[in-house]
Amino acid sequence: MKSLNERHLRFRDLIDKNNQMLELMAEAEEMLSGEFIFDMQYLKTLATQLASASRAVVYDLNAIADNRYQELVKAVDEIEDKVRATIEAKTVIPRSELVIPLSKITGDSTEIVGEKTARLGELSRRKMCRVPDGFAVSAFAFQQVLQCIAEQDEMKKWLALTHDDEETRVDEASSWLQLRTRKVRIPDKLARAIRDAALKLQKRNPNCLLALRSSALGEDGTLSFAGQYKTLLGITPERVIPAYIEVLASVFASGAMKYRRTNRLPPAGGAMAVGCLTLINARAAGVLYTLDPNQPQRNVMVVTASYGLGITVVEGTDETDQFAVSRKYPYDVLSSSLGRKHRQYVANDEQGLRREKVEQDRSDLPAINQDELKELCETSLRIERFMKCAQDIEWAFDQQGQLFILQTRPLRLLDERNESSGRTTEQIGAENTILMQSRGEVACRGVAHGRVVLVDDTTDLTRLPDDAVLVARYSKPALSEALAEAKAVITDIGTATGHLATLARELRVPAILDTEIATQVLKDGQEVTVDAEENVVYLGLVQDLIHNHLLKSSTYEDKPEFRLLRKMLRMVTPLHFKDPQSPDFNPANCSTYHDVIRFAHEKAVERLTRGYSIQTDSDQRSAYHLDLPIPLDLVVIDLDGGPERDARRSSVGLDQVTSRPLACLLEGLCAEGVWNSDPADMDLSGFMASATRSFALTGPAANAPQPNLAIVNTCYLNLNLKLGYHFNIVDCYLSEKRNDNFIYFRFAGGVTEMTRRNRRAEILQRILETNDFVVDRKEDLVIGRIKKISAETMHERLQMVGRLIGFTRQLDIFLRDDSLIKPYVNGFINGKYHPSQFNEAGPLQRGNQMNQSGRVMVLDDEEIVCERLKTYLEKQNYQVETFTVSQQAMERLQQEKFDVVVTDLKMKAPNGLEILRFIRSQDQGTQVVMITGYATMEALREAEYTDVVEFICKPFQMDTIGSAVKKAAKKAKKFKKRAEIEG
Amino acid sequence: MTKSQKKILVLDDEPIVCERLKPALEKRGFYVETFVHSQDAIDRISQQKFDVLVTDLKMRKPDGLDVMDYVRQHSPSTKVVIVTGFATVDTATKALKSGAVDFIAKPFRISQLRDLILKITSDNDD
Repeated sequence: MKSLNERHLRFRDLIDKNNQMLELMAEAEEMLSGEFIFDMQYLKTLATQLASASRAVVYDLNAIADNRYQELVKAVDEIEDKVRATIEAKTVIPRSELVIPLSKITGDSTEIVGEKTARLGELSRRKMCRVPDGFAVSAFAFQQVLQCIAEQDEMKKWLALTHDDEETRVDEASSWLQLRTRKVRIPDKLARAIRDAALKLQKRNPNCLLALRSSALGEDGTLSFAGQYKTLLGITPERVIPAYIEVLASVFASGAMKYRRTNRLPPAGGAMAVGCLTLINARAAGVLYTLDPNQPQRNVMVVTASYGLGITVVEGTDETDQFAVSRKYPYDVLSSSLGRKHRQYVANDEQGLRREKVEQDRSDLPAINQDELKELCETSLRIERFMKCAQDIEWAFDQQGQLFILQTRPLRLLDERNESSGRTTEQIGAENTILMQSRGEVACRGVAHGRVVLVDDTTDLTRLPDDAVLVARYSKPALSEALAEAKAVITDIGTATGHLATLARELRVPAILDTEIATQVLKDGQEVTVDAEENVVYLGLVQDLIHNHLLKSSTYEDKPEFRLLRKMLRMVTPLHFKDPQSPDFNPANCSTYHDVIRFAHEKAVERLTRGYSIQTDSDQRSAYHLDLPIPLDLVVIDLDGGPERDARRSSVGLDQVTSRPLACLLEGLCAEGVWNSDPADMDLSGFMASATRSFALTGPAANAPQPNLAIVNTCYLNLNLKLGYHFNIVDCYLSEKRNDNFIYFRFAGGVTEMTRRNRRAEILQRILETNDFVVDRKEDLVIGRIKKISAETMHERLQMVGRLIGFTRQLDIFLRDDSLIKPYVNGFINGKYHPSQFNEAGPLQRGNQMNQSGRVMVLDDEEIVCERLKTYLEKQNYQVETFTVSQQAMERLQQEKFDVVVTDLKMKAPNGLEILRFIRSQDQGTQVVMITGYATMEALREAEYTDVVEFICKPFQMDTIGSAVKKAAKKAKKFKKRAEIEG
Repeated sequence: MTKSQKKILVLDDEPIVCERLKPALEKRGFYVETFVHSQDAIDRISQQKFDVLVTDLKMRKPDGLDVMDYVRQHSPSTKVVIVTGFATVDTATKALKSGAVDFIAKPFRISQLRDLILKITSDNDD
């Protein structure tokens, strides 16, 4: 048995490494926002760092727990191997299944099934559109086929050609390789897999014919390879193998090889996956460009349509219909030209494709009707939004009128010079109205145009307009559900590593979070353009910005490094067990690093606290009882050794607590009125005694009764509370390094029956969510997490958690019905803790009064400035008085104390500086925000007036004043508090 | 390329760095050329004067320091910004001694490099 002290040291290291892991993961997750430049080297370094930090955590746990968790070492090894294999697979074709159903293909399957098929799989998975049923034959299968070519040595010679080789050699290689590929006998296993898949497809789609489409690795990626490879249509399932080989061979077509050579790639270096889909027997089909490739500056989509299959359009062998359609709902047709369509291709299940005559009375009619055109346009724009650049889409309406998307890829412009309007952010900024700029963090890059939907509790998120830019105070769960339908999302509060951010990245919805002011600046229904690259929100439609965005050839999300990082993170960050009390919580179930460190941390705490008693602790100084003004017995184990004190005393006062997070939490817990010791307790004691319920659900009580225990150091707190009949755990870290900070909150149990406990859990959930925690709740178990917030915010949130612990301690007893949930939540938010107060009328108004953000004086000789500031600040809950004559203001200041004074500098005497001096002579608490011209501001800032909270330069934006006043009010509050303590 | 546009050359052997920096800087009005092979970049610098060179350090020879040497001799007014994943004190000192204006460790925020370039190119005007 190791000495306690040694264990404490190990535990401290475990916490450090644990934090390092969380930080690495958060940072990596944030890379996906597109805000950062990272490269392969970063990914490799990241993999190494993650592995070594996880190893250290596991090592520490085993040192604390006498090597009980050797299994975890194996878990880390396995994860590391998987991650490494993923990184190394970047340059080679990964081993995979030979045949993969489309339903299992995602956007990140590109190295397995090629870009084209991966994209189709992703769109279908995201329910963006209907795509044909089918499967893919992987690039790995292609590699297997090559290995069956008899003359391996000669083949390798041809495959090894470089772009420096002569063109004639490339021709030679092309004919040799094509011939051998066509003659090859493919492995039986592969042939069987393809035939089986084709038969299954036919069973699901009776009498179907197949379309075999090339889907080479890298095709439609950075290089277009347009038209270089083969697509075969109308194949009967019996002929699927020879057709497959024919498509494979086209990877060595002379045109394709020369194309690669020109682009400085190895000419024979292609890898061909093949998409095998049912052929849609189209009534009408064609191509849609989401922008006109000839005139991208025109805001139109271009649709080309014909009867029958789309071959007519692609080949250009017959006249077709052309429509120019507005990109705006309801997608008006701006111009159209109807061709005389003589012939059409139809699928015939006996012979494959047939070209036949179009009946004369139909040939001059449009191939698709208005409704179909609208549906097509809507679907295409949805796809474009997800792909984040203009698209070239092949589509078809089947005989039943169902729309299918057959293929989509980035639109190639006919004239490269059109690529960008060349307007810079500065020019665009000068020509447009900027509503908000450089506020908060970009959580997902992108550009979007739409109308603001201000989200509050009354917003019906199931009925959003199709161009909604969601603007909300918090990232509440309901917002997540609506995100898929939104053009962009902006919040006042949130982080680039939170749940909403992750979801936005997954759905590729441009997101700006933590702006503080969005809900005040942006108005419901306002038309805006969101530039989540430069972090600007413009009023109205900024056409140049939208165009430049759409005309990019690809989006960062589709770059190989981003794919790789996403793939890697799937093995690293998901947390599979959120609840340590569940039976699944064991080393064998640790499938990610996050699982591993979570498990290790939990077990280490358990080991340190189990059966703990202060009497048996050999190191008296590091463990002590805390003297609290509330009836709570709390034992603190201080990893830093504990405060100096009289050796005979085992208790320590609040003021001696050196752990910052513990101090913050206790500040809330011991605040007046929070710890409810209502007389109701008396009646309830009987109720509690008679309550018979098992602890099966909530676990740890099975062990011997433990004291309420806090394991701390300066920055860390792990708090285990057993209050009455529920268990409350808070685990948190508070430092100046924002990335390290987090709070984990767990609450379960209670004395009452399940319904009441559920109600309390719901209250906890709502309050935590209002405070931007990500919350999981299952019946009466609530787990809330928040991370990467500033030290200041940590302080606030921990205080809130403290209040919450006290407030909800016996709350379940009072929760007779669901209607009480809302008043309790509001009560807490408004600083009303005592349940009895909620039965009185109007606690909310009073709460509001209490929640007053502060008293503000506005002093400016221009009436209009005063008025505007008053309206603006009152909306933010300040109590505002305005003055245009500074002498009157001075008199008022003598009578009444204000938290903040906003004053102009230049006024008839007394001027702003004199006002400032007067305020200082009176008291230090009142904070000053000064409005000046630019030059003066710089000079003043340099000079001695450092106790002015903010100098604001004219002309100013409302939100600049808003945040300055907020800062000032906060500072004033601190002064007040200090004065109270000292006084 | 217009006369008033500031010219930036980006050199990094990982294509993703070039591909992402180019549009981001163009959006702010810069003229940008990118290179993944350092010799190609040197050849280009011999023909065209750039206001700013953004370069990685660790590359196949000629490496970042070699390119900086070339720039110092042939285009002394070009300001150099180093972006590198191997940010040791040693390499940083070396780079700054060879005349780099600043040193940014990869991974970095696009806006961080953008703001730095905006700053050093406007200093040029003074």
